[in-house]
Amino acid sequence: MGFFAPLFLAGLLGVGFPIWLHLLRQHRNVPMPFSSLMFFERRIQSSVRHRRLRYLLLLALRIALIVLLALLFANPYLNRPAAGAAGARLLIVAIDNSFSMRQGDQISKAKQDALSVLGSLKPGESAQVLAFSNSIKVMNQGSSDASELRGAVAAVEAGDARSSYGELSRTLRLLAQSSKQRMEVHLFSDLQKTSMPPGFADLQLPDGAKLILHPSATGERPNWTVETVTAPARIYEPKKVRVQATIAGYQTPAAQKRVSLVAGDRVLESKTVTVPPSGRATVEFLGFDVPYGYNKAEVRVDGGDVFPNDDRYLISVERADPRKVLFVHEARDSRSPLYFRTALESAANAAFTLETATSEQSTNLSLDKYAFIVVSDVGSAPQSFQDNLNKWVRGGGSVLVALGSVTAAKSRVPIFDEAIVESRYAARSAERFLSSDQWEGVKFFQVIRFEPGKSTVLAKLGDGTPVLAEKQVGEGRAVVFASTFDNVANDFPLHASFIPFVEETAYRLAHQRDVASSFSVGGLIELRAAQDRATSIEVIDPQGKRALSLDQATRAETFQLPSEGYFEIRRSNGRQQMVAVNADRRESNLSPIDKETLELWQNTGQGSESNADAKPGESDTKPWSFWWYVLFVLFLVSVTESLVGSRFIERDETEELVNRKEAA
Amino acid sequence: MQQRFLNPAVLADISGLELVAKTVVDGFVSGLHRSPDFGFSQEFAEYRAYAEGDDLRHVDWNVFARTERMYLKRYRGETNSQLTVMLDTSASMSYSSGEVTKLDYARYAAASLAYLAHLQRDATGVIVFDDEVRNYVSPSSRQGQLHRVLHAIDQAQPGTHTDYAKPFMHFMQFHRRRGIALVISDFFEDPDTIIKTIEPLRFRGTEVILFHIMDRQELTPKLREPMVLVDMETKATLEVSPEYASHEYRQRVNAHIDTLKTKAQAAGMDYFLLPTDRPLDAALREYLTIRVGRL
Repeated sequence: MGFFAPLFLAGLLGVGFPIWLHLLRQHRNVPMPFSSLMFFERRIQSSVRHRRLRYLLLLALRIALIVLLALLFANPYLNRPAAGAAGARLLIVAIDNSFSMRQGDQISKAKQDALSVLGSLKPGESAQVLAFSNSIKVMNQGSSDASELRGAVAAVEAGDARSSYGELSRTLRLLAQSSKQRMEVHLFSDLQKTSMPPGFADLQLPDGAKLILHPSATGERPNWTVETVTAPARIYEPKKVRVQATIAGYQTPAAQKRVSLVAGDRVLESKTVTVPPSGRATVEFLGFDVPYGYNKAEVRVDGGDVFPNDDRYLISVERADPRKVLFVHEARDSRSPLYFRTALESAANAAFTLETATSEQSTNLSLDKYAFIVVSDVGSAPQSFQDNLNKWVRGGGSVLVALGSVTAAKSRVPIFDEAIVESRYAARSAERFLSSDQWEGVKFFQVIRFEPGKSTVLAKLGDGTPVLAEKQVGEGRAVVFASTFDNVANDFPLHASFIPFVEETAYRLAHQRDVASSFSVGGLIELRAAQDRATSIEVIDPQGKRALSLDQATRAETFQLPSEGYFEIRRSNGRQQMVAVNADRRESNLSPIDKETLELWQNTGQGSESNADAKPGESDTKPWSFWWYVLFVLFLVSVTESLVGSRFIERDETEELVNRKEAA
Repeated sequence: MQQRFLNPAVLADISGLELVAKTVVDGFVSGLHRSPDFGFSQEFAEYRAYAEGDDLRHVDWNVFARTERMYLKRYRGETNSQLTVMLDTSASMSYSSGEVTKLDYARYAAASLAYLAHLQRDATGVIVFDDEVRNYVSPSSRQGQLHRVLHAIDQAQPGTHTDYAKPFMHFMQFHRRRGIALVISDFFEDPDTIIKTIEPLRFRGTEVILFHIMDRQELTPKLREPMVLVDMETKATLEVSPEYASHEYRQRVNAHIDTLKTKAQAAGMDYFLLPTDRPLDAALREYLTIRVGRL
């Protein structure tokens, strides 16, 4: 027991006050005359001996009051066993099952070592097995049953995720809070440097935890890997496709490596590249001739290292024909389709082909075959076309409406159905042109001003005039560009930003996202929008099994990719998607953590090996302040003192009253 | 109203002893006597308590209704008694725990009794004593006797310690007729000594009444802490604990009172304890009762 503020114990001197009050102050030596002492005896003479502690109980309570008050201010504490230091030991066996543990027989060696550690479990002690990578899997609850623990270790399997020691430390802190036992952590891992968290504070172990490391591999381990592959997810013209791969070497000497692009079982092309010592080299393949539909492909690097699992990089590509886009314009306007076509077909992976039609030619067109339709400043289209277009858009089609001087004569924007306010021109005297922040350098000379209404304005001119807006029309989508594509009302088609504008607009209107050709393990795939829960989506894992339960298949909005391989996503509308998943390439760097860092990590827990030799009861105790209890007792004592004091006063008054009555 | 005037604390505010006596006695008598309506033609002289064999026609029923005691009206010429008041003025009589000292109370009682006796045409005298006879007024019923007696009582001052032998010897020297002797004292003396000293009076046919004046603090002392007490007569000091005062002392005082009472009654004397906080009518009533029973 000790005191946080021992100086306040000086207040104990105040104990003398009630003693003085009861013993000394009450005693008077002033003689009092009395009629006769014949009925008193001489034997009563020692004033000290018979100096009675009046109201002994009251005195005791008052002394206790002062003592407790002094104790309260001194803030007493007891040395209690620190959390996790008292009682039985909780053995935590943490086995790394990240991707790098697939190297050699590391995982089986780690499991074997873990079993031998569990064999040293003493009676009364419990153990818990954790498998950790970027997430923690608790294999069993705290148990002392040897068979259960062996089963838990045996159930640990190597995964494809990346290990995270920060996540492990966080879980250990949570476990320490819940278990309140002294924790001894045995870590079985290859101790990769890349698994360290960005901040060392994230490695903080719980108080009293002892960390014992069991490295499954030692020394430098040279390793080459295909670090990244850049390839389009959709291929429309195989001969134009470029595939780039980066080959990285970790703790490796300079070497020539043979890199191959493989589609299915067929090697499309092989190249030899020189990889510098512990460096990177890039390989580019031109042409990707694969059949129509989804194709499993990969980039391979020749082996020769300790870890062959990362020598290939999976990608998935879909071979498809470019989709058609209809461009409707006035017969006299031949410039707009020219600029738009050029921009659309200039995209790196031309996914669309443009068909043009004048307003007069649009009468009997079948719209269902088009990805989207562009209506470029059309004033008087046939009514049948207008009806067809309206119906098509409301049924899920998409349209891009460009407004010009012809459209300005109308009161409402076609399809978009918002009011046209005015045709706004840049005056020669005041403002030479209008500009927008979104497209730097683009000059607008004429803009058709319309009421945005319920639409979403995507771009505005400098004066606030909306120039690009989007609106949901029925099931479909309409986008309005408040100017033309003819290089008359603006000079947008002459700027470089026109191509990505057209390309992005085309992908958005065609509901065709630019998906990636590969994902990393642990990444998330969006399955459906939040409101779209009625349909069922199936995810088939690389082993051909359903990865989602029935409930997840109808509710899950995202899916976390758990392992390497090709996942198939089957949507209710019949569309399928193939996703290639690769392990995080940070796992390929097998450099171990340096010894100093490991020692620092071990020292973050008070019970680490560094203070293992400390005497029992010194480092394992923690001061526990119990001032709150003292305050409670003080309250009780003060209440009791008040009651007892008032009782004595009442008794004295009663006695006096009785005396008076007797006298009366 | 009667009780208020008989309260010793109230009487202490009245300066003249005669006035005190008149207040006490008149108040007492006014309660006893309202109108002599029994058809007697003689001059009213006194009241006396009813005794077995008395004619019920002479009972004052008004008084009975008021006091539930039966008193007979007596008339002039019917009484012929002699009262001697022996007043102890020793130092211990000056003790007081309240407003009235024991000596004051004794004086009020003595004066009241003397006044009452005077009203009844008794010869009245007084002996004031402590260890010596300090004043003596021989009993007489002549004119001005009451003033002499009251003056003697009024002049009584606290003296030294008590010695019963000398005053009683003195009393016996001058006492010739049988009568009533009232001894008013705190009797701080061995009961045997007291009785043996006073007892000879009885042998001459004198009725002796012992009025034991005690302060309430003397009967039931209450000390909150140990105290040093000084004997007012001997000046001896003694430290007394509250426990002793509340237990053993009380037992001894009670034993003293019981012994004194027992021995007094055994010697044919009447004993009456008068705490100073008790109204004076008790003393008067006691006197009347004794007087009726004896004469």
